[in-house]
Amino acid sequence: MSRSVWKGPFVDAYVLKKAEAARESGRNEVIKIWSRRSTILPQFVGLTFGVYNGKKHVPVNVSEDMIGQKFGEYSPTRTYFGHAADRKAKRN
Amino acid sequence: MSDLICVGAIAGAFGVRGEVRLKSFCANPEDIASYSPLTTEDNSRQFEISLTGRATNALTARLSGITTKEEADAMRGLRLFVSRDRMPSLPDDEFYHADLIGLAVHDTGGRLLGHVKSVMNHGAGDLLEIHGAGLRDTVLLPFTRIAVPTVDLAAGRIVADPPEGLFPDAGGTSGT
Repeated sequence: MSRSVWKGPFVDAYVLKKAEAARESGRNEVIKIWSRRSTILPQFVGLTFGVYNGKKHVPVNVSEDMIGQKFGEYSPTRTYFGHAADRKAKRN
Repeated sequence: MSDLICVGAIAGAFGVRGEVRLKSFCANPEDIASYSPLTTEDNSRQFEISLTGRATNALTARLSGITTKEEADAMRGLRLFVSRDRMPSLPDDEFYHADLIGLAVHDTGGRLLGHVKSVMNHGAGDLLEIHGAGLRDTVLLPFTRIAVPTVDLAAGRIVADPPEGLFPDAGGTSGT
């Protein structure tokens, strides 16, 4: 069952505080968070979060199309070693 | 940067007429046929590949010179390679993973941070996994123009301007 709309999106309070502090400082930094359950809010767009996956903090550059998802979705907890083959990386 | 790039492997025979089960490592599995002819690692044999269909977790294909099930069975586990210069060129700011892996990563001051171990994408942009002598664990660096201003494939180096707190001795925020 989906979450009731009247409650609003769930975000751990410390994530909001850290994001606000990072935005005010204007520094290029990774905001380390452990809250994989927090929802990505519009005010997080443009910030880089380091989302803990149980071992390390995976950098997540928040973009507009990620709003409404949870941080944990972008920080997998299992590793998969594939082949490079013809895979491509794009520098944004 | 290796000259040969592994694009697939033979998983065994398919049927009794010399077809093989082919595991493709390409981003789009069917693209493996477009790199034909493929070679073995020691470049001793070449195969023209024509795809014939799909099997569970693999493609089925016919390889030139392979006509019987016994020949196809004998090729089980064989890895297939393509020469790097036969892959199509890419637009600016797009790179093959195979080209990036192994490049030396320097910071803007010229200090060596490590080497690229792998390239990942978990849905929030590409990440370079960097392994360095002074690092206890690998570090994930966002592959953006801000964090990676220069990629010099010819010189085999990347210049990185990592965000604060990413590399342990770069200072910045840590902890809660």
